[in-house]
Amino acid sequence: MPDRGLRVDARGEELLLLPERAVFWPRRETLLVADAHFGKAASFRAAGVPVPHGTTADALTRVDALLDRTSARRVVFLGDFLHAKEGRSPSTVRALTEWRARHHAIDMTLVRGNHDRRAGDPPTKIAIDCEDGPLHEEPFAFAHHPRAVPGAYVLAGHLHPAAVMTGPARQRERLACFWFGTEIGVLPAFGDFTGVSEVRPVVGDRVFVIADESVFEVR
Amino acid sequence: MTSPMTARRPPAASTTGEAIERAERWFTSRGWRPFPFQRDVWRAYLAGESGLVHAATGTGKTLAVWMAPLIEAMREPRQASGLRVLWITPLRALAADTADALIQPLGDLGFDWTVETRTSDTSAAVRARQGRRLPTALLTTPESLSILLSREDSSQQFRELRVVVVDEWHELMGTKRGVQVELGLARLRQLRPDIRIWGLSATIGNLEDARDALLGTEPRTSRLVRGVEPKRVVVDALIPPVIERFPWAGHLGTQMLPAVVNAIEEGESAIVFTNTRSQTEIWYRALLEARPDWAGLIALHHGSLERKTREWVEEGLRTGRLRCVIATSSLDLGVDFSPVDRVLQIGSPKGVARLLQRAGRSGHRPGALSRVTCVPTNVLELLDVAAARDGIEMGAIESRLAVERPLDLLVQHVVTVALGGGFDADALVREVRTTRAYAELTDAEWAWVMDFVSRGGDALQGYEDYARVVQRDGRWIVASREIARRHRLSIGTIVSDAQITVQYLRGQRLGSVEESFIARLRPGDRFTFAGKPLEFVRVRDLRAWVRRAPNGQGVIPRWMGSRLPLSGELAAAIRRRLDEAHRGCFRGAEMEALRPILEVQARWSRIPALDEVLIERVRTREGHHVFVFPFEGRLVHEGLAALFAYRLSRFTPISFTLAANDYGLELLSADAAPLDEARAQGLFSPRNLFDDLPAALNASEMARRQFREIARIAGLVFPGFPRSGKTARQLQASSGLFFDVLERHDPSNLLLGQARREVLERQLERSRLARTLERLASARAVITTPRRTPPLAFPLLIDRARDRVSSETLADRIRRMQLALERAADA
Repeated sequence: MPDRGLRVDARGEELLLLPERAVFWPRRETLLVADAHFGKAASFRAAGVPVPHGTTADALTRVDALLDRTSARRVVFLGDFLHAKEGRSPSTVRALTEWRARHHAIDMTLVRGNHDRRAGDPPTKIAIDCEDGPLHEEPFAFAHHPRAVPGAYVLAGHLHPAAVMTGPARQRERLACFWFGTEIGVLPAFGDFTGVSEVRPVVGDRVFVIADESVFEVR
Repeated sequence: MTSPMTARRPPAASTTGEAIERAERWFTSRGWRPFPFQRDVWRAYLAGESGLVHAATGTGKTLAVWMAPLIEAMREPRQASGLRVLWITPLRALAADTADALIQPLGDLGFDWTVETRTSDTSAAVRARQGRRLPTALLTTPESLSILLSREDSSQQFRELRVVVVDEWHELMGTKRGVQVELGLARLRQLRPDIRIWGLSATIGNLEDARDALLGTEPRTSRLVRGVEPKRVVVDALIPPVIERFPWAGHLGTQMLPAVVNAIEEGESAIVFTNTRSQTEIWYRALLEARPDWAGLIALHHGSLERKTREWVEEGLRTGRLRCVIATSSLDLGVDFSPVDRVLQIGSPKGVARLLQRAGRSGHRPGALSRVTCVPTNVLELLDVAAARDGIEMGAIESRLAVERPLDLLVQHVVTVALGGGFDADALVREVRTTRAYAELTDAEWAWVMDFVSRGGDALQGYEDYARVVQRDGRWIVASREIARRHRLSIGTIVSDAQITVQYLRGQRLGSVEESFIARLRPGDRFTFAGKPLEFVRVRDLRAWVRRAPNGQGVIPRWMGSRLPLSGELAAAIRRRLDEAHRGCFRGAEMEALRPILEVQARWSRIPALDEVLIERVRTREGHHVFVFPFEGRLVHEGLAALFAYRLSRFTPISFTLAANDYGLELLSADAAPLDEARAQGLFSPRNLFDDLPAALNASEMARRQFREIARIAGLVFPGFPRSGKTARQLQASSGLFFDVLERHDPSNLLLGQARREVLERQLERSRLARTLERLASARAVITTPRRTPPLAFPLLIDRARDRVSSETLADRIRRMQLALERAADA
């Protein structure tokens, strides 16, 4: 079991919030990853905007490390796996294929997000099951858009949430976070080249920020 | 904008003397006589020389250079077709006015030349016509010149070009737009080696530099022509009727309103200048509330208003229909508004040359003085007024600092030239090096630029499937039409946040505000813009839809980057005035009025003498404050604040929040800073500056912020496209994100280096910062520990723009922080 991360309870299930911007569900040995946006840099390059190589490779290395540490048997991607049609470049597809081959024993599922609809499903040789979602798995519903699902606790992405922290002497910091409300839990965006947007938590929400290598609950 | 085509042309002049006589007769027919300097310009021009003419506005600079190519043409038997005169102007608004002035003599002298403008305001139909055939004289902006150069037939269209005139060169010089002009001129010199280049400038401190930057490094005979002496300028101030002894009352708000109303009433027509666009909105609203009967007689003018509105306001000033216009620097330049006989300056004048320029907008009637009346918004600004008057008396006019080889702009230019018919790399680098800005461009830098546009990165890690510029048959060109289209759309160096158009539901457009302002509004919120009370309805299609609100309350938009720093000349004059006050001498009405406040400063803390540096340590509920007062202007103080915070943070894990204004800087921390220890180890020392300063920049957000502009100019980030579909939105990423990705995956990218260099050299003026440190290190430090915040420090205490430097781990800091539950309105 991984040593890092923060254990939280959601509808009686234990979840592990990981500083690598993912969630591990130990009982089902499942790793949840939202908003990877693979190939985003490649889609910029295709349009003549020079973004360096390395963002996709970095993200895949992080998934490798997580699979290794958690011994997960399954990965569920909560939408926006690929960024854009133009990002399906040979180098991106090659990197994804090689990565998939290294983890051929692991089941992978994608709950499609808004970007996937335009970018298309991952090539079949990458062997990822694709569904529109929400995907029901007692007590959770896996989805891309954070919309309530009756009778389930929704785990979703899409927002790329970040929380604003303030402190003494006028300190202020904006950090990627896990934002867990009473009905819906939103994961931070996994991709490096994705950006964040500030969220406005309300009383009763639980917010977990990622600072350096740790996850903290903040209030 | 076309001259009458009917005039019959008189026969060609047989000698140059005869041509000049014709020109002089035209002056006589208008009741004028040419000034000697105008004749100097003609003679120099006809002898093939280039040059720079400097004189106050409204003294005949335009005719001095315009008449020269006309005299030249009078000697030619046949009128040439094609573009002969290219006239570059910094402001779109100026182009139309100048065109009117140029057309005047044409008909009388029998020319059938056409004079047209081409700016981003030019309609598609006119552009298409110009695409087929350019006028004889074209007035354009630096950006539109680049777009012309990006046309594939650019070498053809400049075949007949004789002269390029760069108007208001002092405004362009020392900016990236000025460098864009330098590059454009180098291109034109290459296409037409015998063209002449003439610049028009107001008087600045370094005119020789200005001429050299304009004409490039290749030797050529050139002139510096001095025009008519400026009018005498009178500077006075409205003194607040009551000055509270306690400085938090120093902020005057609109207490000065009655006096401003009186001053406006004294004249027939007034311009009220402010320092920011927000201030124009605030004062317009306040004046209308004070004088509802002025509705329709006063107006406001700033760069974010719709063009039609601006033109209507300018017209109103010219005809005398408006009695007062509240404006920003948008009215600093341009043709005369003759009826204006009263100029007010709200807030600090910020610089000597700037105040002179604004004063010059009044008193165009014969024999009139130029007068400007300053209105302090904070009593301390009376100090700036007294100092500005000293500066004018001493002739301490500011210099414009040159920009050193900005690579972002070179990247843009290389793509432009590739579009404009392609280039040979060796020839292009020779051409680029003839500009002052890139004279020192190294081979390595050039190689990097070429790699960047052709491979996306340096030779070792070129990007697969990337190509903005490609090589065909030895020439570099742009092959992709999509890249060509996007490049033309994004040409330009003026950078602002994403702008969003404000429009009434029933259709009329009002202007634009920054997207970040609109993002904070919710439907139903009230705000004031373009002088109108509005209710925000929704955002759709990159527009903020609004409806008229019943009354004038509500927030006012703020625009980023609108805070101008105090000039070095003015800062020095302020230090001398404080030194007098230190010795108990309060000269003049402003200093006399300030006296009660400065006496509180002396009692609670100290008024620094010329050879002292004042440091105040104050404890408040917020934490421990250290205030330092170098009086060097905000930009230098921002750099010093980051430097001091960095040096202090090496002694102990500590987190600082920084603030800076024109007078000094503040370091705020939860625990007391190790000030004595750090001072003993050389806190103020110029030693190790070249190591410490870059480290301090990395610790703060400054380089990352500077990257916003660079990312846009180099074509990483696009301005919002007017009618772009979803594809464009998937290409949106913030410049901050680019900065982070480059730092991580391509740390040797020269654009990152440029961001740091720009912060050091342009934003922080490293040489000025080094001089300041030397002064501080040799000055006597006076440390006071007042129990309450003294008057000089108070404005820093309430300042909102802040930076951070920390030596604690993020995790340690977060443990002491709280979640901001609802984002505050001013966050």
